Amino acid sequence: MANANHTDFSDEQKLIAALRAGDDRAFCEIIKRFQHTMLIIARAIAGDTFADDVVQDAWVAIYKNIAAFEQRSSLKTWIMTIVGNEAKARLRRESRKISLDELDGEQPGSYLDNANFAADGHRFAPIPSWRSESPEELLEAQQLQRCINKTLNILPPAQKAAFMLRDIEQQSFEDICEILQVSSANIRVLVHRARLTLLQVIDRFQETGAC
Amino acid sequence: MLTKNKSIFKKHILSCKDVAHLASEYIDKNTSRKLNWKIRLHLLACGCCRRLIRHLKITQLIVPQLIKKNEPEIDAELILRQIKNRKNNSQE
Repeated sequence: MANANHTDFSDEQKLIAALRAGDDRAFCEIIKRFQHTMLIIARAIAGDTFADDVVQDAWVAIYKNIAAFEQRSSLKTWIMTIVGNEAKARLRRESRKISLDELDGEQPGSYLDNANFAADGHRFAPIPSWRSESPEELLEAQQLQRCINKTLNILPPAQKAAFMLRDIEQQSFEDICEILQVSSANIRVLVHRARLTLLQVIDRFQETGAC
Repeated sequence: MLTKNKSIFKKHILSCKDVAHLASEYIDKNTSRKLNWKIRLHLLACGCCRRLIRHLKITQLIVPQLIKKNEPEIDAELILRQIKNRKNNSQE
């Protein structure tokens, strides 16, 4: 194992150099950074049953191939693409076909529900007002944090994956299309639906103080 | 899934429903200049949709921070040991 006790892994070039040199600390660093998101991608593509296995296979592939990483994309995109490919390969092996609609699910009662609009598209129900619109105040609310995380865990897998990759990991729409094998327009719809669902969680929290 | 959004581009005046479908595109600045103008025109006249856009922007700002605060601790060393075992087993 290379001696890299004082390496600054916030610098991607230094992190990649350490990974290539076989530094276990560098590998632990990327596991901490990406494991969570990799599981979300694996669940979105291959389903819950195979997700853990897919992520382990992806890590083994990353471990074997990191020395040959040519930096045509960022390290994060390279890793997310590997887990996406592993998940798709697993799906093919298991001969299962999961459609985007199946993964996305229906959401009656959402902001996009037809029941909220008249035939001409005018909104029936008003948008609820909030007691506080201060981001600082909302960030301090621990109950809201619990509600958001609870809801995130029950979002349809494709929505959650698209949302996490876009709004949390800040990946480009093009990279997300490549990772999830979904069109750019559909990725935008998935991200939008996820945001609206999370907005409704804040609506309920503002009104009731609970989830 | 996208038929609805395609028909929006042909409209001269957008409805609340159109704006609800386009809200993320608008706050992400992914709408064309023309569509952006149509949305802004609707927002000028519609307090409800202005509130939706405002709340969506706040949601987009705070949710990532709330999620990151709650991410579980990962035992990276254990995972690394598992990766090495799996790699060695596959080579045998």
